[in-house]
Amino acid sequence: MSENKIYFKFDGKTYGGNKGDTIAAALLRNNVKLVGRSFKYHRPRGIYTCGIEEPNALFQIINEHNEPNVRATVKKIYEGMVVKSQNRWPSLKKDLGSINNLLSPMFSAGFYYKTFMGPKGFWKNVYEPLIRRTAGLGKPPKEFKSKSIHLHHNVDILIVGGGLSGLLAAKKLAGTQYDVLLVERENVLGGVLKNTKKIKSINDQDSSDWIEKTQRLLENSNNIKILKNTMVTTYNFNNHLIALEDKSVGKPQDNNKPELVLHKIRTKHTVLANGHIERFVSFRNNDLPGVMLAASFEKYIHRYGVVPDENPVIFTNNSSTFGLVKSLVDLGHRPKAYVDARDQKKIEKETLNLLIKYNIPLYAKSEIEGCDGKNGIQKVSVRVKKNEIIKIKTSMLCVSGGFNPDIHLFTQSKGLIKWDDSFFTFRPDKPFQSTITLGSVSGNFSYQKTVDEINKKLSFLDGVNDLELKLDINGSEKFQIKELWETKHAKKSLWSKSFIDLQNDVTTKDLKQAVLEGFNRIEHLKRFTTNSMGTDQGKISSVNALGIVSKILKKNISEVGTTIYRPPYTPISFGAIAGRSTYEFYDPERKTPIHPWHIKNNVVFEDVGQWKRPWYFKKHNSETMYEAVQRESKQTRESAGILDGSTLGKIEIKGGDALTFVNLMYTNSFTKMKPMSGRYGLMLGEDGMVKDDGIVCKISDQHFIVTTTTGGAANVLSHMEEYAQTEWPNMKVYMNSITEQFSTFNISGPKSRIIMGRVFTNVDFSNEKFPFMTFKFVDYLDAQVRILRASFTGEVGYEIYVPPKHALKLWERIFYFSKDVELVPYGTETMHLLRAEKGYILVGQDTDGTVTPIDLNLNWMIGKKKKDFIGKRSLTRSDIIRGDRKQLVGLVPINKTYGIEEGQQVIEEEDLSTPIKKPIKMLGHVTSSYFSPTLNQCVAMALVKGGNRKIGSQLFVSTSNLNTIAVEVVTPNFVDPKNERLTS
Amino acid sequence: MFTINCPYCGERDQCEFSNGGEAHVARPKDPDQVSDREWSEYVFVRANPKGIYYERWVHTHGCKKWFNAVRNTSTDEILKVYRLGETPPAIKGFKNTLKSPSGEPEVGSGNFTVKKS
Repeated sequence: MSENKIYFKFDGKTYGGNKGDTIAAALLRNNVKLVGRSFKYHRPRGIYTCGIEEPNALFQIINEHNEPNVRATVKKIYEGMVVKSQNRWPSLKKDLGSINNLLSPMFSAGFYYKTFMGPKGFWKNVYEPLIRRTAGLGKPPKEFKSKSIHLHHNVDILIVGGGLSGLLAAKKLAGTQYDVLLVERENVLGGVLKNTKKIKSINDQDSSDWIEKTQRLLENSNNIKILKNTMVTTYNFNNHLIALEDKSVGKPQDNNKPELVLHKIRTKHTVLANGHIERFVSFRNNDLPGVMLAASFEKYIHRYGVVPDENPVIFTNNSSTFGLVKSLVDLGHRPKAYVDARDQKKIEKETLNLLIKYNIPLYAKSEIEGCDGKNGIQKVSVRVKKNEIIKIKTSMLCVSGGFNPDIHLFTQSKGLIKWDDSFFTFRPDKPFQSTITLGSVSGNFSYQKTVDEINKKLSFLDGVNDLELKLDINGSEKFQIKELWETKHAKKSLWSKSFIDLQNDVTTKDLKQAVLEGFNRIEHLKRFTTNSMGTDQGKISSVNALGIVSKILKKNISEVGTTIYRPPYTPISFGAIAGRSTYEFYDPERKTPIHPWHIKNNVVFEDVGQWKRPWYFKKHNSETMYEAVQRESKQTRESAGILDGSTLGKIEIKGGDALTFVNLMYTNSFTKMKPMSGRYGLMLGEDGMVKDDGIVCKISDQHFIVTTTTGGAANVLSHMEEYAQTEWPNMKVYMNSITEQFSTFNISGPKSRIIMGRVFTNVDFSNEKFPFMTFKFVDYLDAQVRILRASFTGEVGYEIYVPPKHALKLWERIFYFSKDVELVPYGTETMHLLRAEKGYILVGQDTDGTVTPIDLNLNWMIGKKKKDFIGKRSLTRSDIIRGDRKQLVGLVPINKTYGIEEGQQVIEEEDLSTPIKKPIKMLGHVTSSYFSPTLNQCVAMALVKGGNRKIGSQLFVSTSNLNTIAVEVVTPNFVDPKNERLTS
Repeated sequence: MFTINCPYCGERDQCEFSNGGEAHVARPKDPDQVSDREWSEYVFVRANPKGIYYERWVHTHGCKKWFNAVRNTSTDEILKVYRLGETPPAIKGFKNTLKSPSGEPEVGSGNFTVKKS
């Protein structure tokens, strides 16, 4: 056991790996080939690649997150890591789900759309629960508190990718005037330089030395910042990009540090140097464990020092696999065979020389027909001539079908791509934003051309010198490729499969079937077959699908087109996106100055917007909400109650034209209103619908203070600002929110007058000296308090506006002077009940944006002589004056022992027994309903079609179990209809 | 996610602003004199072109001032920002990229990843 080894568990067994190993590299080091079971068919699967494009090796990491679908080829091991394979039961080797493979002819393309149709009830009770249990690959993570943060960057140039091109571009910009950010997804710089030995030397140095030297140069430059372990996932408009940094690479989560950082980068120019991805070839059983991409195999050798297999068979259609052969023979290994789809004449000299030198059998102009084995490759079938197939025993097959420039980010930026016939791939063409592509992502696969490309494409920058570089390459850079997307099966069989999407188990047969069924547009094909819709987005295979489809449709690939590549490029956890905005940090909590008193007095809070409002108070721990609300309501009407109304919006309006402005904003006329008085005001939208209500207080014609609903405060102020700025900019009026500048108490009840007199001894609260709807300014301590005589409970009441610094003390003082009077604190629920008893509307409950003041029988609030106000013209629109509009009425159950519920539908039918013979007309619904402790029965308000004409008649409300309750339609004013208590 | 150059505060992220719909839709000076149809069109109907669009924005999380902008709705490029009361810039001053009958621009819209000849 080596000291440098890191030990981890995979499916219960302990393995040792090296520091810096990914899980995949460590497993390959231990000769583990079987790592998963495929999504649909539960076929055995192995590690296919060495990077972010991995389709098969997805694991669940067992820790406080239980993160599913982690790519083994990306996640680095740490000591004690616990890893589990997914989608198999009871084990990887013996998975019961493999029965799906036997049944596979039924699961072809479009299966989801054609099945699970019946019988009735089966979807809800049988299919859905079953599908939920078996669908997906991993198990969902446990709930946890995300420890992710967001960081913002504003730079001149963003370089995506720290490989050869990215490093050279950064080197060119070092010491210049530009702020540069270089982002690299691996934990080390170098990119492809670390994956192959193609480059012998750079400026006569070993490439590793050159990378280190360049990194030091960049780190010492003042204008270059490097981010490692950071993956650019999203390219938005205006050169705004998102990158995800993993802060815990190679180590477990640190509870005191952020685990993920979401970088939000705004840049002037983006340099994409994010490289290329190798693609596979489809042949029979191209998904067996033991099939791996050739460049990935090479990457395991050079980056991790792992040789997945010493004698693989190599299958290629292009020049790149020379590197793989050389890497193996340099280590003393020997590929079992070299199968090349190209003519021997087309194969490069250096490859042929190697094969001859090391006695490696060459099969030119040949292809792999398929491979066979149980839980892994045991032999491959090589088609050497049209009908001649030879079998070769092997446990690994390396495949190269060509290379695709990694154009996802480029197309996300809305750049256009075009088809390249020399590489049989798409390459970037016309950028939409300031996007520069360098290196293989731009379709430049020649290392020698790299420097010229960088100098040319960055020549538009100021004060930047040309780069010079000496590159020594192993072998030639001549690239030859033969177009090859799939090979034919030797025998026709229902069960033989060649895969086009490994993660979603889509076969080439599915593609063909989809076209047969009429899905010949690529976007339809994608969705019908689910090709490239997995977490890997079909990175190693989506161009192959286009190749195959283009042959079936007999079109050019550029005519077939591609589907839209959507962000994110690789999976981002929701935790990273949420950042710190979770749990108690999701939304600010707004509290009034009385908050601590509420808590001491057994309050239950309700969220109104961001505010914590008292909902009700519990007199003792076992009191239910219903009991509390009944008690609070009764006591308010019998003695006195007090509500913390600090959350309601308050807006101060000032200016020479303030009166004109207020007259335009509200339905009422405030011209003749006396100073120091208030009026209940209605605010409409331009469509005539009730938008908000409040009390408008006039201090003078140039100075008003208005209130709004709690939830409407910001909207009302914005509404006012919009009109003042855009419609009447010449009016001399300005307004400001003073919601938080004053705390508001609403005290009402027959005894409220007495209490007020005790608290404010200098004020005469008699009816004559302090009439209803007037206000006074009163000195209090070192400030001023405003007292308005108004209430919305139907009892005598007052609103006190006090600066926050004195609010809690004043509240407590009020209670001090009320000890013998039974003053009860009440919350929003009681407030609603008391309002409902009086038929006072609650904007947003009894109105919903489709209700006019006429519908509410509030015509008296409309200033008759006013020429204009917002919404006035709409009140005479034909739709507003039609007689069958819903109007606000009161409802009481005819049998007083029954209760009505908010939301119940108002109908004419008494009997709702099924089957219902004809459609039931819905006349309206119940908007508010409460059991009144004062009247000992339920009272409700409802919006009912033609309601005014129905007053005095009987209707019904329907209950959720299809019963009905008979109700009488009445005017909505239940308690003290003559308002005698209010104005006494 | 683009940026908008607020005429009062300078260049800021789009998320600081709220869109205010079509610009230069004047409220009828005398609402009583217009027909139901004209009034309803003022209240409910706004243009919705693909291409050059004159619109309003308000800097909600900033100065709270309203201003105008000319934006290409198919590419989301903000071509010009101007204050309330300033003369709106003439449309022929902008490179109008609408080429096809249904107005598809050359780049940056919908399913046109592959260059069409």
